[in-house]
Amino acid sequence: MIQVRFHGRGGQGIKTASQILGSAAFNSGFQAQDFPLYGAERRGAPIVAFTRISPTPILERGPISNPNLLLIGDETLLNDSQVAPLCGADESTIVFVNSTKSTEQIQKQFPFPAAPLILDLTDRCQNFLGKGHILSTALATAGARILGNIDLKDLLEAVKMELGQSLKPETLQKNLELTQDIFHSLSPCTIPEKPIKALASSPLIELKQTPVHEAAPIILAPGNMALRKTGNWRMQRPKIDYDHCNKCLICYARCPEGTIKIDEDGRPQIDYEHCKGCMICAQECPGHFIQTIRESEGAHE
Amino acid sequence: MIKTHKRVSDLHPEEIITPGTGLCAGCGGLEGLRLALKELGKDVVICNAAGCFTLLSVYPFTPLQGSWLYTTMGGPVPAAQGIRDALDVQLKKGKLPSQENLQVLVVAGDGSSNDIGLGPTSAALHRKLDFIYFCYDNEAYGNTGFQLSAASPFGSSTQTSPSTHEHPAGAEKMKKNLFDIWKAQDPTYIATVSPREPIDLSNKFAKAKTMSGPRMFICMSPCPTGWGFDPKDAHVIAKLAVDTGIFPIKEYFEGKVVHTKRPRKRLPVEKFLERQKRFSHLFYPERCEDVISQIQKNVDDYWSHFE
Repeated sequence: MIQVRFHGRGGQGIKTASQILGSAAFNSGFQAQDFPLYGAERRGAPIVAFTRISPTPILERGPISNPNLLLIGDETLLNDSQVAPLCGADESTIVFVNSTKSTEQIQKQFPFPAAPLILDLTDRCQNFLGKGHILSTALATAGARILGNIDLKDLLEAVKMELGQSLKPETLQKNLELTQDIFHSLSPCTIPEKPIKALASSPLIELKQTPVHEAAPIILAPGNMALRKTGNWRMQRPKIDYDHCNKCLICYARCPEGTIKIDEDGRPQIDYEHCKGCMICAQECPGHFIQTIRESEGAHE
Repeated sequence: MIKTHKRVSDLHPEEIITPGTGLCAGCGGLEGLRLALKELGKDVVICNAAGCFTLLSVYPFTPLQGSWLYTTMGGPVPAAQGIRDALDVQLKKGKLPSQENLQVLVVAGDGSSNDIGLGPTSAALHRKLDFIYFCYDNEAYGNTGFQLSAASPFGSSTQTSPSTHEHPAGAEKMKKNLFDIWKAQDPTYIATVSPREPIDLSNKFAKAKTMSGPRMFICMSPCPTGWGFDPKDAHVIAKLAVDTGIFPIKEYFEGKVVHTKRPRKRLPVEKFLERQKRFSHLFYPERCEDVISQIQKNVDDYWSHFE
């Protein structure tokens, strides 16, 4: 059985990617299982999705902790201790990252167990679809190609199956072209077998009864939500051009999160630890003095 | 004496909601609430109905400086009544100093306001409960995946009212007129607000803060996920809703309805509809001329009463 784990953000089509890969494997004669996992989080928040592919019936359920293949939609997630996409990966795990960097560069930055595969999917999605952040087709294609046992024909059929209902024919056509392009840009890998570990049993947890006033969820610290950093939701980051900013403060009024603060000189300052990257500020700035940069590039400035 | 705001820089500098909430990037409702709370200040207790804003406070975190009570979808107004009564009793007995009196604010979505919670709200209006009601209206049950609510407008597609062969328009009922339902019970103050008009919104909250009795707000909340648009366009959509006349910005006070932001020349409704995925079936594969012209007619009929 091959176990694939996808990492990305809400709105990038990570769930759809796992569905396309599952359907493609099914079309190629495998049994497949695909499902996402997200909590209360929303568009932009890190999410994870899973696909299991096997020639025999799949009896295992639940999240994949020890994947054969890891598909990471956004390299900035690697930096994130809440997501920890490399969690559970070992030397036998094949890791694919959507990034503009070279293998050497990215290996220097993050502790990969083995050299990761890299391709700039965002750039290709931008070229083919005009939307760099919609990774559903691209990530599923990368997965299918790396696995090597899924035909291009079956994959194209899966893309039509999963997206045909909701997309216009011309957009679907562009997705199919994107599939072919990415399929031919990558080469298949051999997936090493993972040794089957014996199931370890853990001692039962003893549950104690707590009085109601202790068990009720009461928060007594005002405004402690700020401890939760939502800066890792961003795919793009806004950057204010202070040479031209005329302090009109439209961006400050329009930011839904209130992440734009005003400093002593009356200039807006973006709180990058919490900015979710909705880019309303860039869209609304009357003089267009707020730039939009890809997060992975902006983060190292 | 109410201080009126004229420029964005006049907005109250203090943020009552800290960032870090689990709400969608680009949420229009959050922005409405953020601006509203800037005006109302810290001395507020929020009674929050289940809905998208459930995610405002996720244990063990709260983004608020003031108090927050989470209730069932139908229960925010009874909760407000309970809190108001408790405050009044404690104040009267002298057990609570008068500076600890709080403003009771109900925060509820359009589902709670139009459907499940309308009964208790009506009863509270009848009793002239002293509270502020803030309804963030994203025109469906957004928290659970965007299902039809009584606030979903005619012609919009939702999870439970998709455009089908039998029902090509999607939602076939008109949006419930919550403003007029409330108005019929003669509360102290009612207003519709849009995050697109922060000055207008702030002035209305500043005005409502000085009054007592039931005060209601309907805040139009563009929803990137449910309505289907890029989060960065949230304000373009909010502006078009005002400029096409689909969302009138008005207030009701002392028996009169006044439009506080009138579109100078109303744009055709397509300008608003065509940018959202929930209306895409009206334009593709064929243009549903009858549905679009019906929506336009509804808007024209509304404004003809005021022109």
